[in-house]
Amino acid sequence: MICPACGGVVTTKRNRCERCGEDLTIYKKMFLLSNKYYNEGLEKAKVRDLSGAILVLKKSLEYNKRNINARNLLGLVYYEMGETVSALSEWVISKHFKPTENDADDYVNAVQSNPTKLETLNQTIKKYNAALVSAKQGNEDLAIIQLKKVTSLNPHFVKAWQLLALLYMKTGENEKAVKCLIKASKIDVSNTTTLRYLRELGHYSISGREENKSSKETARPITPEPALFQHSSYKEEKPNVWLFINLIIGVAFGILGAVFLVVPTVQSTLRSDLKQKEIEYNEDINKYIQTNDSLKKEKTELQEQITALQAKVTEYEGIEYDDTIYDGLMNTAKLYIKELEKGNAGDVDYAAVADVLGAVKEDKLEKQPAKELYASLKESVSLKASDILYEQGHSSYSSRKYDKALEQLLKAYEYNTDNVNAAYFLGRTYHQQNDLENAKKYYSIVTENFPDSNRASEASDRLAAIE
Amino acid sequence: MINFDEEVAKFGPSLEVEQAEDVINNNDLSDITDIIKTMMKDLKDK
Repeated sequence: MICPACGGVVTTKRNRCERCGEDLTIYKKMFLLSNKYYNEGLEKAKVRDLSGAILVLKKSLEYNKRNINARNLLGLVYYEMGETVSALSEWVISKHFKPTENDADDYVNAVQSNPTKLETLNQTIKKYNAALVSAKQGNEDLAIIQLKKVTSLNPHFVKAWQLLALLYMKTGENEKAVKCLIKASKIDVSNTTTLRYLRELGHYSISGREENKSSKETARPITPEPALFQHSSYKEEKPNVWLFINLIIGVAFGILGAVFLVVPTVQSTLRSDLKQKEIEYNEDINKYIQTNDSLKKEKTELQEQITALQAKVTEYEGIEYDDTIYDGLMNTAKLYIKELEKGNAGDVDYAAVADVLGAVKEDKLEKQPAKELYASLKESVSLKASDILYEQGHSSYSSRKYDKALEQLLKAYEYNTDNVNAAYFLGRTYHQQNDLENAKKYYSIVTENFPDSNRASEASDRLAAIE
Repeated sequence: MINFDEEVAKFGPSLEVEQAEDVINNNDLSDITDIIKTMMKDLKDK
């Protein structure tokens, strides 16, 4: 045994603790009493006198709280009567006093290993408490409904059967009350409350009447074997078919709810998303159409420009643009530069340059620089060439070489139409050749264009002579 | 004759699982052995 004073281990035969010297005589007596009550409790439990077992087991624990067997048995009795929490309390306390090699471990694990069943038991206790409140408030019908549920979930709940029987008695349903009390008495045969109610209903003896019924009902309680373990409280309850049916119904309702509530919502959400996307796509399409239209318009404008430019190009091509015009001008310039490079102005062959310049058609020149170059060359070369050619022509005339004179004088006049002398001597040359028409022409030019010149009077006289 | 109200009053609520912790903590674990131990100690002290 354990010394209550110091906790040391003491052999059973010794009356004094070897560690602390405490007198153990009284303690031993207490332990003996505790064990005696435990034995009594065990006997009662075996015959299913659970209420009686609870009383003596409590007494056993009053003498020795560390009586593990008594505490474990008390837990078992509580559990058999449907008082799950009380049972767990006793087993936990038992484990506190003896943490190892304790059957309470197995009992607690058996209960906690099935959380569903534990939750069911908890729910039955809550329903019972609610039914009790309803009964106290006078709502017998509600209490009866609740207690029916409780007893169906936990058929070992003695207090529930008793309260249900009481309510049936209140409502006059005595037969139902008797049935409930019989069921309660099968669990706890000597429960005073059950016996009292049965007596009230006229059922003085339960076992006598029940033994006449089918043998099945007597199979449980009275056997020499440990009944509590045989009619195991820890057997799994028969599967409640209604639970599965309710589950199936719940699933069916869930599916229906999903079909009728969730699916339409999801569909409408999808539709609105699609609608939104359609709107966005339409906007994009409109943008593309607008862009396309503007591009088409731009293309049309560009086409028009191309057409106009092509027309201009055609016009330019139609003009029969003659590159040789500028070549002639460039050649004239080059020749003039070459003549000037001789270094001496007297060596410049103005006539040759003017001859080349004469081949250039001034009206064909389009570019302003070309026109300016032409004018410049003409100014620089033509006048001088005209004078030189006049001198040559005059010399040829004087030598009576009228054909040559004519050629030279014509060029001189061509290069400079203000050369009055060239015009006069052209008239004279034609006159000498008896070409009176051309002679008149040039005499007229002199008299009309150069009336103030010294050749005018001479030309006038010659003209008169011809006419 | 059974009085319903008196009988109903005798029924007390059952403990629920949530109350288990409080029940265990508040459980008075004193027994006669503890009382005797206290008495013996008082006697010795005197």
